[in-house]
Amino acid sequence: MSGATRRAYVLLMSAASAALLFAFLVYILFAANLARFPYDYDQGEGFEAHDSVLFSRGELPYRDTEAYPFYASNYPPLFHMMAAPFVWFFGPAYWYGRLLGFLGSLVSAAAIAYAVYRDGTRHRWIAALAGLAFLSSNFVYHIGPLFRQHTMMVTFETLAVVALAGAVPRRDKRGIALGLALLLCAGYTKQLAAITALAAIVWMFIRQPARAWLWTLGFALVGAAIFLWLNIASGGQWWNQAIVANVNVFMFEQALGLFNLWFKLHGFLLIPAALLFVYELYLERLSIYSIWFVAAAMLGGVASGTWGAGDSYFVTSVAAICILSGLFFSRALAGAWRFPRALRFNPASKLTLVAAFMIPLFYLGYARATLKTPTDGAFRPLAAVLGIEGNVRESFYDSASFNVGGYARIGYFLRAEDWAAGTEIVRLIEASEKPVLSEEAGFTMAAGRDVVTNPTQLRNLDRAGLFKGEQLLAMIERQEFGLIILRAQFYPPSVLGAIGQGYERARTIHMNGFDYIILNPKALESD
Amino acid sequence: MESQDRTISKRQLGVTLALAGMIGFVGILAIDIVDVGRPGGIGPMQSIALAAMAATAIVGLTLIPLGDAPA
Repeated sequence: MSGATRRAYVLLMSAASAALLFAFLVYILFAANLARFPYDYDQGEGFEAHDSVLFSRGELPYRDTEAYPFYASNYPPLFHMMAAPFVWFFGPAYWYGRLLGFLGSLVSAAAIAYAVYRDGTRHRWIAALAGLAFLSSNFVYHIGPLFRQHTMMVTFETLAVVALAGAVPRRDKRGIALGLALLLCAGYTKQLAAITALAAIVWMFIRQPARAWLWTLGFALVGAAIFLWLNIASGGQWWNQAIVANVNVFMFEQALGLFNLWFKLHGFLLIPAALLFVYELYLERLSIYSIWFVAAAMLGGVASGTWGAGDSYFVTSVAAICILSGLFFSRALAGAWRFPRALRFNPASKLTLVAAFMIPLFYLGYARATLKTPTDGAFRPLAAVLGIEGNVRESFYDSASFNVGGYARIGYFLRAEDWAAGTEIVRLIEASEKPVLSEEAGFTMAAGRDVVTNPTQLRNLDRAGLFKGEQLLAMIERQEFGLIILRAQFYPPSVLGAIGQGYERARTIHMNGFDYIILNPKALESD
Repeated sequence: MESQDRTISKRQLGVTLALAGMIGFVGILAIDIVDVGRPGGIGPMQSIALAAMAATAIVGLTLIPLGDAPA
């Protein structure tokens, strides 16, 4: 590159870096804002916190839901085991689970940057942009700082894939063992990691079929042994709760909407990633990243259409996209292609020159597509310059919006009134002398009461024909709960019916953009 | 070091993908024939799966001419 061209390249790359660093800043601020909040922000966080409490006591959350407190979890244990030591020191809380998720996303970004640097042309700037691009994704922003195990699954998946990409071609036994162990960690963090495991094993078979058999056998044996132990230790409940009850209905419109959103937000990086896949498929050897990308995008995307799933199911594919696009860009900049004679572009330096201008523009386009930011306070002048208005709770702009089924209405910064609303719900629980049935666990945990039921799990079990609920229904009919708190009303129909018979709405408290319905026992006719 | 190992060629990968795509395509269509009790017609999920199987078969066929080049 000539001096003037070089200056223009540096200027554009600096602009792209600034845009992605801004996204990173908003992500950090959001994570800090959310970490302090002591109640549920996303539906289900409290139950993950409660799972961690159970593990801290040496108990498994795979339990019989026919007996009080009617609680069970469908999530594998690893993430909650990681949070358990924090329970010993700090008691039940949300901040450490959210911190683990956030740190997990940073580790994923670092692994992406390292993969682009190591397996590309050792271009530091593009490697850094690839890592920042992962953190700029609306999907990562949305799920990363929550007390949810999903982000940690992606972290283990990314580390596993990067480890295997380096170890398999060198036949590095330690590296392969590490990669497969990380895959097991991902699978025992969340079941969805089975897609990445499948992609990794297929790639190993393509590269070294004979060795892949042996490694897969060992991998399967260790995985099955853990599975068997969990099932025996839980008296068979692991199978019922985590496997049988984990099958949900598929909603085509949700999957289609999320596929559209995924493309709209990540298209600027998706296209170069897809081009590198095609190049590898026909002109070079397939990398693990390419197979991972296709598997995560197709299978993860289809899985996003199941009830209870959502945009987070695309996060693994976003990691793969960031790596593949980074590799594409670093190779384009170095002109590191091996085209057959008929396809060679002469002079190659012109192609490199075009790449030098296009690469930062792709990252700038991606940063614009994934833009999200508060529009009030210190961000107000910037929002005015960008010409954006809050489209989420009137003080936050999210380019993804939430017109798509499965994209959650979260990501905005919490306000003082959200804290006050949560505190008021806890006060009502503390004022009740009887047990409280709450659809979210955070309030009862904060009040030092039992966590009673996990509504989505009861719903799943009910759909699978594994929930009778006689004892729970009898308790509701006898009005043994002093208070019932509903939000999404995910309970099975029989439970909601019994609640409707025995309880009546006392008030509605608005928190985090959701209505929490507070129900008191109805006055009995004999009264 | 890896060159000492036997690897899958582009032709082998192509044949595998072409066969998997074709068998999958027929299998998905056969759901309606075998499970006669289910609501009629090819559903949206089936349509996606059929398209994916067709694409897999086509990609597989295009790889076969690439011969012994490692996949």
